[in-house]
Amino acid sequence: MHGLKRTGWTVFFGMLPALLIYTGIALVPIGMSLYYSFFSWDGLSPMRHVGLHNYISTLTDGVFWKGVGNNLFMLATGIFGQLPIGLFFALLLNRSLKGIKVYRSMLFLPVVISAVIVSIIWGMVFKIESGMLNGLLGLIGLESWQQDWLGSPKLGMLSVSITYIWQNYGFFMVIFLAALQNIPQEMREAALMDGASGWKHFWYVTLPMLKDTIWVTLIFAISNSFRVFDLIYVMTAGGPAHNTEVMTIYMYNNAFQNMNFGYGSAVSMLILLFSLIAIYAAKLITQRNR
Amino acid sequence: MKQTRMKLSVIHLFLAVLCVANILPILWMVTSAFKSEEEFSVNPMGLPWQWDFSNFAKAWEVAHLGTYFWNSLIVTAGAILLTVLLGALASYFIARFNYRWSTWVYGLFIVGMTIPIHATLVPIFILMKNLSLLNTHLSLVLPYTAFHLSITIFILVGFMKSFPKDIEESAIIDGAGVYHIFWSIILPMTRPAIATVVIINFIYNWNEFLFALVLISKTGLKTLPLGLANFAGTETKFQTMQMAALTMALLPLIAFYLLLEKQLVQGMTAGAVKG
Repeated sequence: MHGLKRTGWTVFFGMLPALLIYTGIALVPIGMSLYYSFFSWDGLSPMRHVGLHNYISTLTDGVFWKGVGNNLFMLATGIFGQLPIGLFFALLLNRSLKGIKVYRSMLFLPVVISAVIVSIIWGMVFKIESGMLNGLLGLIGLESWQQDWLGSPKLGMLSVSITYIWQNYGFFMVIFLAALQNIPQEMREAALMDGASGWKHFWYVTLPMLKDTIWVTLIFAISNSFRVFDLIYVMTAGGPAHNTEVMTIYMYNNAFQNMNFGYGSAVSMLILLFSLIAIYAAKLITQRNR
Repeated sequence: MKQTRMKLSVIHLFLAVLCVANILPILWMVTSAFKSEEEFSVNPMGLPWQWDFSNFAKAWEVAHLGTYFWNSLIVTAGAILLTVLLGALASYFIARFNYRWSTWVYGLFIVGMTIPIHATLVPIFILMKNLSLLNTHLSLVLPYTAFHLSITIFILVGFMKSFPKDIEESAIIDGAGVYHIFWSIILPMTRPAIATVVIINFIYNWNEFLFALVLISKTGLKTLPLGLANFAGTETKFQTMQMAALTMALLPLIAFYLLLEKQLVQGMTAGAVKG
């Protein structure tokens, strides 16, 4: 760009520190994980090459598949819970309204709170005795609905998912809101002239304008759902009896509780593979609709 | 006209109810923190009969909150400093010089936004163990830096590219070196973007849990999220004390959020809104 001599090397050395830390600690470890996944290793004794054994025993373990199922449940709550709720609030807030900033602040707040604090608070909300949810049900005379929300085999995942939705929909709300505000006002007026209002307007004018944004949020929702860890680790640790287990919890338990680093690495590679497959599937489905 | 005003007040009412419902768990926790354990067991839902502050002093003591705050502060500050310094330098060279391989390097950094942490967890644990860094602040500073360089560089490069091309020219004529231009011209101009980057790095590092869980096991070195998760797991009998601890951990964060909301929201959604 400018006429400094020997800038090529200067530029290279300027990027080097950032590049070293980034590749050494974020990129190379993925390759290392792949490498470890073919070994049986507790971190102390010598590594033993076991071929695909770790993958085979993971894929034949019922607990792992329980985790996959729960991850798919989280994925569904992300796509059908967080995204529509985020869009709903964005549509509500997308108008000149006094105090709109206050509403937005309150709705976005959960996004900035650490997942650990969110999980402990909601763990208390869902408690059997003196939990907030059971307390509210008691106040409106629905004592028969009171129960152990997180411990229930039927409702455990749903309770976790409610927390998950609460924690994240604000993020999507802000993204949708930014996209809505980018839609030119003339579009709206033109549509009104054609007699499109309410639902029709939303369906035929607004939604198609949001196509790219929906695609981006979809990717976020998918990859987030495969990364969920803190929330479940703190609320239920995957229990009771693996009822709320997800793949990341399964990976953590095998790698760091059972000290089986090879096995844990294999699981982490499978998680990566599954999330890539999910993103690819989403791409196929949305492309067909285009 | 009258009808739209009606509609507006309905929307207002609707939003107000939903917003309060949304933060109800937080309100419930904060008010319950002022109840004694005995009162909470008979009055879990209402406002406290007596506003009792003793839980807070007790929780601060029992939960080692002072230690955890301090550790979180050191790790967060260290990681921010390293990330922003190295990130800004790399961004400068990516944004202000035209080399084909530097766009390639940029692409490499951007890929990092999609890397799931757990896919790197085992090797990072082994690496830190081999370097004898387990149970040190540095063992967290390094991965926090590595994983947030991507978004940092993404935001800073976007900003630095918007400067006009002739900005450096007079400095070059004066014979200023590359680093001098970075330090005295580019960096000061980048200040607004750096503020955004510092703020989102603060939130991400302050809230991080998984790396801390794996790399830190000594109580004296635990960060706030890790310490709180531990405390919640062990002191299950003392609910209102736990709530007091959570309230103390939460309030500074909420203050920080309300103060810097605009940049925080912008920064956190930058990857999604632009990309």
